[in-house]
Amino acid sequence: MKQITKVLEGVGSVVQLLLQSLSYAGTLPRQGARFIEQCYMIGYTTLPIVAILSFFIGTVLALEAGYAMEGFGAKEFIGSLVGLSMARELGPMMTSVLLAGRVGSAITAELASMKVYQEIDALTTMNIPAAKILVLPRLAAVLVMMPVLIIIANIVGWFGGSVVARYVSSVGISPEAYFAALRHYTKFKDVMNGTAKAEVFGFVVVLVCCDIGLNTRGGPREIGASVTRGVVVSLILILVLDYFVTKLLM
Amino acid sequence: MNTTQQTARVGLFFLLGVALVWVTFETLSDGKLFAEHSHKLIAGFDDLKQLKNGDEVRLAGVRVGSVETTRLAGRRAEAVLLIDPKVPIASDATATIEMSGLIGGNYISIEMGTPGSPPLADGAEIKTVSTPDLNALMSELGGLGKQLQESLGSFSTAINGDAKGGGGIIQKIDKILTDNTARLNATMVNLQQITDKINHGEGTLGKLVNSPELHDQLLATVGEIQTAAAQAKEFVANAEGIMAQVKSGQGTLGTLIYDPKAAADIRASIADIRSVSDKLAKGEGTLGKLLNDDSLYNSAEVTIKKVDRTLDGLNDSGPITAVGIVVNALF
Repeated sequence: MKQITKVLEGVGSVVQLLLQSLSYAGTLPRQGARFIEQCYMIGYTTLPIVAILSFFIGTVLALEAGYAMEGFGAKEFIGSLVGLSMARELGPMMTSVLLAGRVGSAITAELASMKVYQEIDALTTMNIPAAKILVLPRLAAVLVMMPVLIIIANIVGWFGGSVVARYVSSVGISPEAYFAALRHYTKFKDVMNGTAKAEVFGFVVVLVCCDIGLNTRGGPREIGASVTRGVVVSLILILVLDYFVTKLLM
Repeated sequence: MNTTQQTARVGLFFLLGVALVWVTFETLSDGKLFAEHSHKLIAGFDDLKQLKNGDEVRLAGVRVGSVETTRLAGRRAEAVLLIDPKVPIASDATATIEMSGLIGGNYISIEMGTPGSPPLADGAEIKTVSTPDLNALMSELGGLGKQLQESLGSFSTAINGDAKGGGGIIQKIDKILTDNTARLNATMVNLQQITDKINHGEGTLGKLVNSPELHDQLLATVGEIQTAAAQAKEFVANAEGIMAQVKSGQGTLGTLIYDPKAAADIRASIADIRSVSDKLAKGEGTLGKLLNDDSLYNSAEVTIKKVDRTLDGLNDSGPITAVGIVVNALF
Protein backbone atom coordinates (compact mmCIF):
# COMPACT_ATOMS: atom_id res chain seq x y z
CA MET A 1 0.00 0.00 0.00
CA LYS A 2 2.83 2.27 0.91
CA GLN A 3 4.56 1.54 -2.39
CA ILE A 4 1.40 2.29 -4.36
CA THR A 5 1.01 5.54 -2.46
CA LYS A 6 4.61 6.42 -3.32
CA VAL A 7 4.03 5.65 -6.99
CA LEU A 8 0.87 7.75 -7.10
CA GLU A 9 2.68 10.50 -5.25
CA GLY A 10 5.47 10.39 -7.82
CA VAL A 11 3.02 10.54 -10.72
CA GLY A 12 1.22 13.49 -9.18
CA SER A 13 4.48 15.29 -8.52
CA VAL A 14 5.65 14.78 -12.14
CA VAL A 15 2.35 16.04 -13.54
CA GLN A 16 2.46 19.05 -11.23
CA LEU A 17 6.03 19.84 -12.30
CA LEU A 18 5.05 19.52 -15.97
CA LEU A 19 2.13 21.91 -15.59
CA GLN A 20 4.28 24.40 -13.68
CA SER A 21 6.95 24.28 -16.36
CA LEU A 22 4.44 24.72 -19.17
CA SER A 23 2.98 27.68 -17.38
CA TYR A 24 6.34 29.41 -17.77
CA ALA A 25 6.70 28.50 -21.45
CA GLY A 26 6.34 32.14 -22.40
CA THR A 27 9.59 32.94 -20.56
CA LEU A 28 11.68 30.59 -22.69
CA PRO A 29 12.82 33.23 -25.21
CA ARG A 30 14.34 35.17 -22.32
CA GLN A 31 16.23 32.06 -21.17
CA GLY A 32 18.28 31.62 -24.32
CA ALA A 33 21.58 31.10 -22.55
CA ARG A 34 20.18 28.39 -20.27
CA PHE A 35 18.46 26.76 -23.24
CA ILE A 36 21.70 26.72 -25.27
CA GLU A 37 23.61 25.35 -22.30
CA GLN A 38 21.14 22.49 -21.89
CA CYS A 39 21.18 21.82 -25.63
CA TYR A 40 24.93 21.53 -25.40
CA MET A 41 24.70 19.12 -22.47
CA ILE A 42 21.86 17.01 -23.83
CA GLY A 43 22.78 17.00 -27.52
CA TYR A 44 26.36 17.88 -28.28
CA THR A 45 28.07 16.02 -25.44
CA THR A 46 25.85 12.97 -25.88
CA LEU A 47 26.60 12.65 -29.60
CA PRO A 48 29.85 10.62 -29.42
CA ILE A 49 28.47 7.90 -27.21
CA VAL A 50 25.24 7.78 -29.24
CA ALA A 51 27.22 7.44 -32.47
CA ILE A 52 29.47 4.69 -31.11
CA LEU A 53 26.57 2.75 -29.66
CA SER A 54 24.44 3.11 -32.82
CA PHE A 55 27.30 2.00 -35.06
CA PHE A 56 27.71 -1.21 -33.14
CA ILE A 57 23.96 -1.78 -32.89
CA GLY A 58 23.86 -1.60 -36.68
CA THR A 59 26.77 -3.99 -37.05
CA VAL A 60 25.29 -6.53 -34.63
CA LEU A 61 21.91 -6.31 -36.35
CA ALA A 62 23.48 -6.97 -39.76
CA LEU A 63 25.56 -9.80 -38.36
CA GLU A 64 22.63 -11.51 -36.68
CA ALA A 65 20.37 -10.93 -39.66
CA GLY A 66 23.00 -12.36 -42.00
CA TYR A 67 23.36 -15.44 -39.80
CA ALA A 68 19.59 -15.95 -39.56
CA MET A 69 18.71 -15.16 -43.17
CA GLU A 70 21.49 -17.20 -44.73
CA GLY A 71 19.51 -20.32 -43.86
CA PHE A 72 16.74 -19.52 -46.30
CA GLY A 73 18.57 -17.39 -48.86
CA ALA A 74 17.18 -14.01 -47.88
CA LYS A 75 20.41 -12.13 -47.19
CA GLU A 76 19.33 -9.40 -49.60
CA PHE A 77 16.81 -8.31 -46.97
CA ILE A 78 19.46 -7.50 -44.35
CA GLY A 79 19.36 -3.85 -45.36
CA SER A 80 15.63 -3.66 -44.86
CA LEU A 81 15.84 -5.36 -41.46
CA VAL A 82 18.61 -3.07 -40.22
CA GLY A 83 16.92 0.01 -41.69
CA LEU A 84 13.53 -0.64 -40.17
CA SER A 85 14.87 -1.86 -36.84
CA MET A 86 17.10 1.17 -36.38
CA ALA A 87 14.53 3.71 -37.57
CA ARG A 88 11.49 2.40 -35.76
CA GLU A 89 12.81 0.82 -32.57
CA LEU A 90 16.45 0.46 -31.69
CA GLY A 91 17.56 3.97 -32.65
CA PRO A 92 14.95 5.77 -30.48
CA MET A 93 15.03 3.32 -27.61
CA MET A 94 18.79 2.94 -27.26
CA THR A 95 19.33 6.68 -27.61
CA SER A 96 16.75 7.26 -24.89
CA VAL A 97 18.43 4.69 -22.66
CA LEU A 98 21.73 6.48 -23.20
CA LEU A 99 20.03 9.75 -22.46
CA ALA A 100 18.67 8.35 -19.23
CA GLY A 101 22.07 7.00 -18.22
CA ARG A 102 24.11 10.02 -19.16
CA VAL A 103 21.89 13.10 -19.14
CA GLY A 104 19.15 11.89 -16.78
CA SER A 105 21.61 10.92 -14.09
CA ALA A 106 23.44 14.26 -14.45
CA ILE A 107 20.20 16.21 -14.19
CA THR A 108 19.10 14.28 -11.11
CA ALA A 109 22.48 14.67 -9.47
CA GLU A 110 22.64 18.40 -10.19
CA LEU A 111 19.11 19.18 -9.02
CA ALA A 112 19.42 16.86 -5.99
CA SER A 113 22.60 18.61 -4.97
CA MET A 114 20.94 21.98 -5.36
CA LYS A 115 18.04 20.72 -3.29
CA VAL A 116 20.21 19.16 -0.59
CA TYR A 117 22.43 22.23 -0.35
CA GLN A 118 19.34 24.45 -0.24
CA GLU A 119 20.01 26.30 -3.49
CA ILE A 120 16.49 25.48 -4.62
CA ASP A 121 15.15 26.87 -1.38
CA ALA A 122 17.18 30.03 -1.96
CA LEU A 123 15.73 30.40 -5.44
CA THR A 124 12.24 29.89 -4.05
CA THR A 125 12.93 32.54 -1.44
CA MET A 126 13.90 34.92 -4.22
CA ASN A 127 10.64 34.03 -5.96
CA ILE A 128 12.46 32.26 -8.77
CA PRO A 129 10.61 28.98 -9.43
CA ALA A 130 12.83 25.98 -10.12
CA ALA A 131 10.36 24.82 -12.78
CA LYS A 132 10.99 28.06 -14.66
CA ILE A 133 14.80 28.24 -14.83
CA LEU A 134 15.85 24.64 -14.14
CA VAL A 135 13.20 22.42 -15.70
CA LEU A 136 11.74 24.35 -18.64
CA PRO A 137 15.06 24.93 -20.48
CA ARG A 138 15.92 21.25 -20.09
CA LEU A 139 12.52 20.11 -21.45
CA ALA A 140 12.81 22.49 -24.39
CA ALA A 141 16.40 21.42 -25.06
CA VAL A 142 15.57 17.73 -25.07
CA LEU A 143 12.68 18.31 -27.49
CA VAL A 144 15.00 20.13 -29.90
CA MET A 145 18.00 17.83 -29.54
CA MET A 146 16.35 14.41 -29.63
CA PRO A 147 15.49 14.51 -33.38
CA VAL A 148 19.07 15.44 -34.16
CA LEU A 149 20.43 12.62 -32.01
CA ILE A 150 17.97 10.15 -33.51
CA ILE A 151 18.75 10.96 -37.12
CA ILE A 152 22.46 10.69 -36.45
CA ALA A 153 21.92 7.41 -34.58
CA ASN A 154 19.90 6.02 -37.49
CA ILE A 155 22.39 7.00 -40.17
CA VAL A 156 25.39 5.76 -38.19
CA GLY A 157 23.58 2.51 -37.45
CA TRP A 158 22.69 1.99 -41.11
CA PHE A 159 26.28 2.68 -42.03
CA GLY A 160 27.50 0.17 -39.43
CA GLY A 161 25.24 -2.47 -40.96
CA SER A 162 26.60 -1.76 -44.42
CA VAL A 163 30.18 -2.16 -43.17
CA VAL A 164 29.36 -5.61 -41.81
CA ALA A 165 27.42 -6.51 -44.96
CA ARG A 166 30.41 -5.57 -47.08
CA TYR A 167 33.37 -6.86 -45.09
CA VAL A 168 32.11 -9.86 -43.14
CA SER A 169 32.34 -12.90 -45.38
CA SER A 170 29.45 -14.77 -43.79
CA VAL A 171 27.13 -11.88 -44.70
CA GLY A 172 28.79 -10.89 -47.96
CA ILE A 173 26.37 -8.60 -49.79
CA SER A 174 27.32 -5.44 -51.62
CA PRO A 175 26.63 -2.01 -50.08
CA GLU A 176 24.50 -1.25 -53.16
CA ALA A 177 22.24 -4.24 -52.48
CA TYR A 178 22.18 -3.40 -48.76
CA PHE A 179 21.14 0.21 -49.28
CA ALA A 180 18.74 -0.70 -52.10
CA ALA A 181 16.86 -3.04 -49.74
CA LEU A 182 17.05 -0.43 -46.99
CA ARG A 183 15.62 2.28 -49.24
CA HIS A 184 12.97 -0.07 -50.61
CA TYR A 185 11.48 -1.03 -47.28
CA THR A 186 12.35 1.89 -45.00
CA LYS A 187 10.28 5.00 -45.55
CA PHE A 188 10.66 8.47 -44.17
CA LYS A 189 7.52 7.97 -42.13
CA ASP A 190 9.33 5.15 -40.29
CA VAL A 191 12.07 7.61 -39.37
CA MET A 192 9.44 10.13 -38.27
CA ASN A 193 7.71 7.42 -36.27
CA GLY A 194 10.93 6.64 -34.42
CA THR A 195 11.63 10.33 -33.88
CA ALA A 196 8.21 10.82 -32.34
CA LYS A 197 8.86 7.95 -29.96
CA ALA A 198 12.25 9.37 -29.02
CA GLU A 199 10.68 12.77 -28.31
CA VAL A 200 8.28 11.14 -25.87
CA PHE A 201 11.01 9.08 -24.22
CA GLY A 202 13.44 12.00 -23.92
CA PHE A 203 10.78 14.34 -22.56
CA VAL A 204 9.69 11.79 -19.94
CA VAL A 205 13.29 10.99 -18.94
CA VAL A 206 14.17 14.65 -18.38
CA LEU A 207 10.89 15.40 -16.60
CA VAL A 208 11.14 12.41 -14.26
CA CYS A 209 14.81 13.02 -13.49
CA CYS A 210 14.09 16.69 -12.75
CA ASP A 211 11.23 15.72 -10.45
CA ILE A 212 13.27 13.12 -8.57
CA GLY A 213 16.16 15.56 -8.21
CA LEU A 214 13.92 18.35 -6.95
CA ASN A 215 12.23 16.02 -4.44
CA THR A 216 15.46 14.77 -2.88
CA ARG A 217 15.43 14.95 0.89
CA GLY A 218 18.35 14.45 3.28
CA GLY A 219 22.08 14.67 2.78
CA PRO A 220 24.71 13.70 0.18
CA ARG A 221 23.85 10.00 0.46
CA GLU A 222 20.34 10.73 -0.79
CA ILE A 223 21.81 12.40 -3.85
CA GLY A 224 23.25 9.07 -5.01
CA ALA A 225 20.01 7.29 -4.18
CA SER A 226 18.06 9.83 -6.21
CA VAL A 227 20.36 9.38 -9.19
CA THR A 228 19.92 5.62 -9.04
CA ARG A 229 16.18 5.98 -8.70
CA GLY A 230 16.04 8.49 -11.54
CA VAL A 231 17.88 6.21 -13.95
CA VAL A 232 15.92 3.10 -12.96
CA VAL A 233 12.55 4.83 -13.21
CA SER A 234 13.54 6.35 -16.55
CA LEU A 235 14.54 2.97 -18.00
CA ILE A 236 11.35 1.35 -16.79
CA LEU A 237 9.24 4.17 -18.19
CA ILE A 238 11.07 4.00 -21.52
CA LEU A 239 10.29 0.32 -21.93
CA VAL A 240 6.69 0.62 -20.71
CA LEU A 241 5.99 3.66 -22.83
CA ASP A 242 7.66 2.01 -25.82
CA TYR A 243 4.84 -0.49 -26.10
CA PHE A 244 2.05 2.05 -25.79
CA VAL A 245 3.61 4.69 -28.05
CA THR A 246 4.42 2.07 -30.67
CA LYS A 247 0.85 0.83 -30.55
CA LEU A 248 -0.43 4.40 -30.75
CA LEU A 249 1.71 5.27 -33.77
CA MET A 250 0.84 2.16 -35.77
CA MET B 1 34.50 27.15 -22.63
CA ASN B 2 32.81 30.49 -23.08
CA THR B 3 29.18 30.94 -23.94
CA THR B 4 29.86 31.95 -27.55
CA GLN B 5 31.72 28.74 -28.32
CA GLN B 6 29.01 26.71 -26.64
CA THR B 7 26.31 28.45 -28.64
CA ALA B 8 28.23 27.95 -31.89
CA ARG B 9 28.67 24.25 -31.22
CA VAL B 10 24.99 23.80 -30.39
CA GLY B 11 24.04 25.73 -33.53
CA LEU B 12 26.37 23.63 -35.67
CA PHE B 13 25.02 20.47 -34.11
CA PHE B 14 21.44 21.55 -34.74
CA LEU B 15 22.15 22.47 -38.36
CA LEU B 16 23.88 19.15 -38.87
CA GLY B 17 20.78 17.41 -37.56
CA VAL B 18 18.48 19.39 -39.83
CA ALA B 19 20.70 18.65 -42.82
CA LEU B 20 20.72 14.93 -42.02
CA VAL B 21 16.93 14.91 -41.63
CA TRP B 22 16.64 16.53 -45.05
CA VAL B 23 19.05 14.06 -46.63
CA THR B 24 17.16 11.15 -45.12
CA PHE B 25 13.89 12.60 -46.28
CA GLU B 26 15.15 13.02 -49.85
CA THR B 27 16.67 9.56 -49.90
CA LEU B 28 13.81 7.57 -48.46
CA SER B 29 10.79 9.44 -49.76
CA ASP B 30 12.07 10.87 -53.05
CA GLY B 31 11.26 14.34 -51.81
CA LYS B 32 7.57 13.62 -51.31
CA LEU B 33 6.38 13.94 -47.74
CA PHE B 34 2.77 13.19 -48.54
CA ALA B 35 1.54 10.76 -51.14
CA GLU B 36 0.31 12.34 -54.35
CA HIS B 37 -3.29 11.94 -55.37
CA SER B 38 -3.49 8.52 -56.89
CA HIS B 39 -5.78 6.76 -59.30
CA LYS B 40 -7.88 4.09 -57.65
CA LEU B 41 -8.52 0.83 -59.48
CA ILE B 42 -10.49 -2.16 -58.23
CA ALA B 43 -9.11 -5.65 -58.85
CA GLY B 44 -11.44 -8.53 -57.99
CA PHE B 45 -10.11 -12.05 -57.41
CA ASP B 46 -11.48 -15.35 -56.17
CA ASP B 47 -8.59 -15.47 -53.71
CA LEU B 48 -6.17 -12.68 -52.79
CA LYS B 49 -3.72 -15.27 -51.40
CA GLN B 50 -1.22 -13.44 -49.18
CA LEU B 51 -1.70 -9.99 -50.71
CA LYS B 52 -1.80 -7.29 -48.05
CA ASN B 53 -2.01 -3.55 -47.69
CA GLY B 54 1.05 -1.73 -49.00
CA ASP B 55 2.13 -4.45 -51.42
CA GLU B 56 3.48 -3.18 -54.71
CA VAL B 57 1.62 -2.76 -57.97
CA ARG B 58 3.92 -3.18 -60.97
CA LEU B 59 3.21 -2.39 -64.61
CA ALA B 60 5.46 -4.55 -66.78
CA GLY B 61 7.72 -5.00 -63.77
CA VAL B 62 7.99 -1.29 -62.92
CA ARG B 63 6.46 -0.09 -59.64
CA VAL B 64 3.54 2.23 -60.37
CA GLY B 65 1.56 2.06 -57.16
CA SER B 66 0.55 0.04 -54.14
CA VAL B 67 -2.34 -1.87 -52.64
CA GLU B 68 -4.38 0.52 -50.52
CA THR B 69 -6.67 -2.01 -48.94
CA THR B 70 -8.12 -5.48 -49.34
CA ARG B 71 -11.75 -6.29 -48.70
CA LEU B 72 -14.48 -8.82 -49.28
CA ALA B 73 -17.17 -7.94 -51.82
CA GLY B 74 -19.87 -10.59 -51.87
CA ARG B 75 -18.44 -13.89 -53.03
CA ARG B 76 -15.11 -12.48 -54.12
CA ALA B 77 -12.19 -10.55 -52.66
CA GLU B 78 -11.21 -7.12 -53.90
CA ALA B 79 -7.95 -5.21 -53.77
CA VAL B 80 -8.08 -1.43 -54.08
CA LEU B 81 -5.02 -0.29 -56.02
CA LEU B 82 -3.51 3.19 -55.82
CA ILE B 83 -1.87 3.94 -59.17
CA ASP B 84 0.37 6.82 -60.12
CA PRO B 85 -1.96 9.15 -62.08
CA LYS B 86 0.81 9.84 -64.59
CA VAL B 87 0.73 6.18 -65.66
CA PRO B 88 -2.37 5.32 -67.71
CA ILE B 89 -3.58 1.74 -67.42
CA ALA B 90 -5.13 0.40 -70.62
CA SER B 91 -8.73 -0.75 -70.36
CA ASP B 92 -7.82 -4.22 -71.66
CA ALA B 93 -4.84 -4.60 -69.32
CA THR B 94 -5.04 -7.59 -66.96
CA ALA B 95 -3.89 -7.83 -63.36
CA THR B 96 -2.54 -10.96 -61.68
CA ILE B 97 -1.18 -11.72 -58.21
CA GLU B 98 2.46 -12.71 -58.48
CA MET B 99 4.96 -13.93 -55.91
CA SER B 100 7.90 -11.66 -55.30
CA GLY B 101 9.88 -14.26 -53.38
CA LEU B 102 9.80 -17.68 -51.83
CA ILE B 103 9.24 -16.26 -48.37
CA GLY B 104 5.71 -15.21 -49.16
CA GLY B 105 5.82 -11.69 -50.60
CA ASN B 106 3.21 -10.89 -53.23
CA TYR B 107 2.55 -8.06 -55.62
CA ILE B 108 0.00 -7.15 -58.28
CA SER B 109 1.39 -7.42 -61.79
CA ILE B 110 -0.38 -5.50 -64.57
CA GLU B 111 0.28 -6.19 -68.23
CA MET B 112 0.53 -3.33 -70.70
CA GLY B 113 -2.62 -4.14 -72.68
CA THR B 114 -3.19 -3.22 -76.31
CA PRO B 115 -1.57 -0.01 -77.62
CA GLY B 116 -4.19 2.64 -78.25
CA SER B 117 -6.70 1.25 -75.79
CA PRO B 118 -8.47 3.94 -73.74
CA PRO B 119 -7.12 4.30 -70.18
CA LEU B 120 -9.14 3.11 -67.19
CA ALA B 121 -10.88 5.88 -65.29
CA ASP B 122 -10.44 6.59 -61.59
CA GLY B 123 -12.37 3.96 -59.63
CA ALA B 124 -12.79 1.61 -62.58
CA GLU B 125 -12.40 -2.15 -62.31
CA ILE B 126 -9.44 -3.78 -63.98
CA LYS B 127 -9.63 -7.22 -65.59
CA THR B 128 -7.97 -9.94 -63.55
CA VAL B 129 -6.57 -13.39 -64.19
CA SER B 130 -6.14 -15.88 -61.38
CA THR B 131 -2.86 -17.75 -61.24
CA PRO B 132 -2.09 -20.84 -59.16
CA ASP B 133 -0.17 -20.09 -55.99
CA LEU B 134 2.89 -21.91 -54.75
CA ASN B 135 0.88 -24.34 -52.63
CA ALA B 136 -1.25 -25.35 -55.60
CA LEU B 137 1.83 -25.73 -57.78
CA MET B 138 3.59 -27.83 -55.16
CA SER B 139 0.47 -29.96 -54.79
CA GLU B 140 0.34 -30.51 -58.56
CA LEU B 141 4.03 -31.25 -58.65
CA GLY B 142 3.57 -33.78 -55.88
CA GLY B 143 0.79 -35.50 -57.84
CA LEU B 144 2.93 -35.42 -60.96
CA GLY B 145 5.83 -36.97 -59.08
CA LYS B 146 3.56 -39.70 -57.78
CA GLN B 147 2.27 -40.43 -61.28
CA LEU B 148 5.84 -40.47 -62.61
CA GLN B 149 6.87 -42.87 -59.88
CA GLU B 150 3.94 -45.15 -60.69
CA SER B 151 4.72 -45.00 -64.39
CA LEU B 152 8.35 -45.84 -63.78
CA GLY B 153 7.26 -48.72 -61.52
CA SER B 154 4.95 -50.05 -64.23
CA PHE B 155 7.70 -49.68 -66.81
CA SER B 156 10.15 -51.46 -64.56
CA THR B 157 7.65 -54.26 -63.96
CA ALA B 158 7.02 -54.53 -67.67
CA ILE B 159 10.73 -54.76 -68.36
CA ASN B 160 11.88 -56.94 -65.49
CA GLY B 161 8.71 -58.76 -64.48
CA ASP B 162 7.02 -58.76 -61.09
CA ALA B 163 7.41 -60.78 -57.94
CA LYS B 164 4.33 -62.93 -58.72
CA GLY B 165 6.25 -64.76 -61.36
CA GLY B 166 5.08 -62.85 -64.39
CA GLY B 167 8.00 -62.47 -66.74
CA GLY B 168 8.94 -59.09 -68.06
CA ILE B 169 9.72 -58.11 -71.60
CA ILE B 170 13.37 -59.03 -71.24
CA GLN B 171 12.51 -62.51 -69.94
CA LYS B 172 10.01 -63.01 -72.74
CA ILE B 173 12.49 -61.93 -75.39
CA ASP B 174 15.05 -64.20 -73.86
CA LYS B 175 12.61 -67.11 -73.92
CA ILE B 176 11.68 -66.44 -77.55
CA LEU B 177 15.32 -66.35 -78.52
CA THR B 178 16.04 -69.56 -76.63
CA ASP B 179 13.09 -71.43 -78.09
CA ASN B 180 13.77 -70.34 -81.66
CA THR B 181 17.52 -70.51 -81.80
CA ALA B 182 17.52 -73.13 -84.56
CA ARG B 183 15.01 -71.24 -86.68
CA LEU B 184 16.82 -67.99 -86.19
CA ASN B 185 20.08 -69.63 -87.21
CA ALA B 186 18.43 -71.05 -90.33
CA THR B 187 16.96 -67.64 -91.11
CA MET B 188 20.33 -66.03 -90.74
CA VAL B 189 21.88 -68.66 -93.06
CA ASN B 190 19.16 -68.00 -95.61
CA LEU B 191 19.73 -64.27 -95.37
CA GLN B 192 23.44 -64.87 -95.84
CA GLN B 193 22.77 -66.93 -98.95
CA ILE B 194 20.44 -64.29 -100.36
CA THR B 195 22.97 -61.55 -99.85
CA ASP B 196 25.68 -63.73 -101.40
CA LYS B 197 23.53 -64.25 -104.49
CA ILE B 198 22.83 -60.57 -104.75
CA ASN B 199 26.55 -59.88 -104.50
CA HIS B 200 27.26 -62.40 -107.24
CA GLY B 201 24.62 -60.95 -109.52
CA GLU B 202 22.32 -63.93 -109.37
CA GLY B 203 18.58 -63.57 -109.64
CA THR B 204 16.54 -60.50 -110.54
CA LEU B 205 17.63 -58.46 -107.54
CA GLY B 206 21.27 -59.43 -108.04
CA LYS B 207 21.18 -58.48 -111.69
CA LEU B 208 19.44 -55.26 -110.87
CA VAL B 209 22.14 -54.46 -108.35
CA ASN B 210 25.14 -55.65 -110.37
CA SER B 211 24.26 -55.28 -114.08
CA PRO B 212 25.15 -51.91 -115.66
CA GLU B 213 22.89 -52.59 -118.69
CA LEU B 214 19.90 -53.19 -116.50
CA HIS B 215 20.75 -50.06 -114.65
CA ASP B 216 20.88 -48.10 -117.91
CA GLN B 217 17.58 -49.57 -119.06
CA LEU B 218 16.03 -48.69 -115.76
CA LEU B 219 17.29 -45.16 -116.12
CA ALA B 220 15.94 -44.97 -119.71
CA THR B 221 12.58 -46.27 -118.52
CA VAL B 222 12.52 -43.70 -115.83
CA GLY B 223 13.37 -41.06 -118.46
CA GLU B 224 10.49 -42.20 -120.62
CA ILE B 225 8.19 -42.11 -117.66
CA GLN B 226 9.36 -38.59 -117.00
CA THR B 227 8.73 -37.64 -120.64
CA ALA B 228 5.29 -39.21 -120.51
CA ALA B 229 4.61 -37.36 -117.31
CA ALA B 230 5.72 -34.12 -118.94
CA GLN B 231 3.42 -34.76 -121.89
CA ALA B 232 0.61 -35.59 -119.56
CA LYS B 233 1.34 -32.39 -117.74
CA GLU B 234 1.27 -30.49 -121.02
CA PHE B 235 -1.97 -32.20 -121.95
CA VAL B 236 -3.48 -31.25 -118.66
CA ALA B 237 -2.22 -27.70 -119.14
CA ASN B 238 -3.84 -27.56 -122.58
CA ALA B 239 -7.05 -28.98 -121.19
CA GLU B 240 -6.94 -26.39 -118.45
CA GLY B 241 -6.42 -23.71 -121.12
CA ILE B 242 -9.39 -24.97 -123.08
CA MET B 243 -11.47 -25.08 -119.95
CA ALA B 244 -10.38 -21.57 -119.18
CA GLN B 245 -11.41 -20.42 -122.64
CA VAL B 246 -14.72 -22.24 -122.29
CA LYS B 247 -15.26 -20.63 -118.90
CA SER B 248 -14.43 -17.25 -120.30
CA GLY B 249 -17.07 -17.81 -122.99
CA GLN B 250 -14.63 -18.04 -125.87
CA GLY B 251 -15.20 -20.43 -128.86
CA THR B 252 -18.27 -22.32 -129.83
CA LEU B 253 -18.45 -24.44 -126.73
CA GLY B 254 -17.85 -21.47 -124.50
CA THR B 255 -20.51 -19.44 -126.24
CA LEU B 256 -22.87 -22.40 -126.09
CA ILE B 257 -22.37 -22.81 -122.31
CA TYR B 258 -21.79 -19.31 -121.01
CA ASP B 259 -23.36 -16.91 -123.61
CA PRO B 260 -26.91 -16.03 -122.45
CA LYS B 261 -27.87 -14.87 -125.94
CA ALA B 262 -26.88 -18.19 -127.49
CA ALA B 263 -28.81 -19.99 -124.80
CA ALA B 264 -31.86 -17.86 -125.58
CA ASP B 265 -31.45 -18.58 -129.30
CA ILE B 266 -31.23 -22.29 -128.62
CA ARG B 267 -34.28 -22.16 -126.40
CA ALA B 268 -36.14 -20.27 -129.17
CA SER B 269 -35.02 -22.82 -131.76
CA ILE B 270 -36.14 -25.70 -129.61
CA ALA B 271 -39.46 -23.96 -129.11
CA ASP B 272 -39.81 -23.56 -132.91
CA ILE B 273 -38.93 -27.21 -133.50
CA ARG B 274 -41.45 -28.21 -130.86
CA SER B 275 -44.09 -26.03 -132.56
CA VAL B 276 -43.33 -27.59 -135.97
CA SER B 277 -43.42 -31.10 -134.54
CA ASP B 278 -46.71 -30.33 -132.83
CA LYS B 279 -48.18 -29.14 -136.14
CA LEU B 280 -46.84 -32.21 -137.88
CA ALA B 281 -48.37 -34.38 -135.21
CA LYS B 282 -51.70 -32.62 -135.54
CA GLY B 283 -51.60 -32.97 -139.33
CA GLU B 284 -51.48 -29.30 -139.97
CA GLY B 285 -49.84 -27.96 -143.11
CA THR B 286 -48.72 -29.80 -146.19
CA LEU B 287 -46.10 -31.93 -144.46
CA GLY B 288 -48.52 -32.73 -141.64
CA LYS B 289 -51.18 -33.81 -143.99
CA LEU B 290 -48.62 -35.76 -145.95
CA LEU B 291 -47.65 -37.57 -142.78
CA ASN B 292 -51.11 -38.03 -141.30
CA ASP B 293 -53.63 -38.13 -144.18
CA ASP B 294 -53.79 -41.50 -146.03
CA SER B 295 -56.05 -40.11 -148.79
CA LEU B 296 -53.12 -38.36 -150.43
CA TYR B 297 -51.23 -41.60 -150.40
CA ASN B 298 -54.21 -43.40 -151.88
CA SER B 299 -54.66 -40.76 -154.59
CA ALA B 300 -51.02 -40.93 -155.48
CA GLU B 301 -51.21 -44.70 -155.65
CA VAL B 302 -54.21 -44.52 -157.97
CA THR B 303 -52.43 -41.97 -160.11
CA ILE B 304 -49.29 -44.04 -160.30
CA LYS B 305 -51.36 -47.05 -161.33
CA LYS B 306 -53.01 -45.03 -164.02
CA VAL B 307 -49.70 -43.81 -165.27
CA ASP B 308 -48.48 -47.32 -165.26
CA ARG B 309 -51.41 -48.49 -167.36
CA THR B 310 -50.93 -45.60 -169.69
CA LEU B 311 -47.34 -46.47 -170.25
CA ASP B 312 -48.36 -50.03 -170.91
CA GLY B 313 -50.83 -48.72 -173.53
CA LEU B 314 -48.17 -46.63 -175.11
CA ASN B 315 -45.99 -49.56 -175.47
CA ASP B 316 -48.78 -51.43 -177.19
CA SER B 317 -50.26 -48.68 -179.48
CA GLY B 318 -47.29 -46.76 -180.50
CA PRO B 319 -46.34 -43.18 -180.08
CA ILE B 320 -49.15 -41.79 -182.25
CA THR B 321 -51.82 -42.65 -179.89
CA ALA B 322 -49.79 -41.96 -176.86
CA VAL B 323 -51.24 -38.54 -176.35
CA GLY B 324 -54.75 -39.77 -176.70
CA ILE B 325 -54.16 -42.66 -174.38
CA VAL B 326 -52.62 -40.38 -171.81
CA VAL B 327 -55.52 -38.03 -172.04
CA ASN B 328 -58.01 -40.85 -171.78
CA ALA B 329 -56.23 -42.43 -168.98
CA LEU B 330 -55.99 -39.24 -167.10
CA PHE B 331 -59.45 -37.87 -167.70
